[in-house]
Amino acid sequence: MEFDEIQKIWDSQTHEPLWSINETALHKRILVKKEKVSHIANFSELLLLVVNIGAGSLTLGLNYFKPPTNLSLYLMSAWMLGTALYVLVSRIRRLKSSDTFDRSLLGELKQAMSMATYQVRLSQLMRWNIVPIGFLSLLGFWESGQSIWLSLGLLIFFGMTYFAGGWEHRIYQAKKRELEALLTKLEQK
Amino acid sequence: MSELEQNHIFETWLGHHKSLVFKVVRAYAVTAMDQDDLFQEIIIQVWHSVPTFRQQSSTTTWIYRIALNTALKWVSNERKHSKAQETLDNVQAILQETKVQIDERLTWLYEAIYKLDEIDRSITLLLLDGFSYKEMATIVGISESNVGVKINRIKKQLITKSKQQDHYGI
Repeated sequence: MEFDEIQKIWDSQTHEPLWSINETALHKRILVKKEKVSHIANFSELLLLVVNIGAGSLTLGLNYFKPPTNLSLYLMSAWMLGTALYVLVSRIRRLKSSDTFDRSLLGELKQAMSMATYQVRLSQLMRWNIVPIGFLSLLGFWESGQSIWLSLGLLIFFGMTYFAGGWEHRIYQAKKRELEALLTKLEQK
Repeated sequence: MSELEQNHIFETWLGHHKSLVFKVVRAYAVTAMDQDDLFQEIIIQVWHSVPTFRQQSSTTTWIYRIALNTALKWVSNERKHSKAQETLDNVQAILQETKVQIDERLTWLYEAIYKLDEIDRSITLLLLDGFSYKEMATIVGISESNVGVKINRIKKQLITKSKQQDHYGI
């Protein structure tokens, strides 16, 4: 069969559509989904902001108003509030850069790639961020003379968080690899 | 733009261009459940795009672009995520088969398109629907010469596949 004949088969598609649309179900579905467009990045950023600002402020407040003051906890508050500031600046930069891509397939894929790269970087940074926070928390516990069991519990908690962070990071990496493969297919001749 | 205006434009678009969306759905999804799911995704993206449409392109080009972008992203997501989390409310079928006589050669053609890689599927649909190289280059975001190279390869692949199909071959 030559391509002209393939074209004729395509053109022979009847104007009577193959499917009809269940309008009620469609409208219901749109209502359910239209609120769900916020990306994972949006959610992760807001969560990180809330957690870091909340925990940083709480630690700062407790340490300030409940003497004796603990230097490690001050440092931890500063670290957490600094992290929140970093996430906020990254978020503003990300939102500004999202308008620079065109709406072609390539443009959308590049935007998705940029988002995936951002998520990979953010998840990696946040994973490593557990190390100084864990260290400062343990130091704070030691300074305030908390029991060894409580410190051990905290250590296990941070260990598990670090492990879960790695799992999340690998999901983003896999997503990025898939997008890279698509982008390569699109750009190669 | 008010939601009422958005809904009105959306319904007009859907009335005029649903067959275009059906073609993309058929080329990217095989099972009824997947077709329904992809159709919903495309329709929701089209609905969201209404306020951003600036009439710099025709609505056909605009909707084709959204449909293909959504299908490409859907294909990569679909491989990993099952739809198990969908609630019973949400799985109510949106697409219902009509009693149209299905041309077997067309079924073969859709199967052949489905076997191409995700990117080539988009280009094949645009080619068969009569878009120029320039329009395709704009929609896909690659150079016209690259479009030409890909089209030559796609045509060869489709012709070869048609020759392997004794039943449908002419």
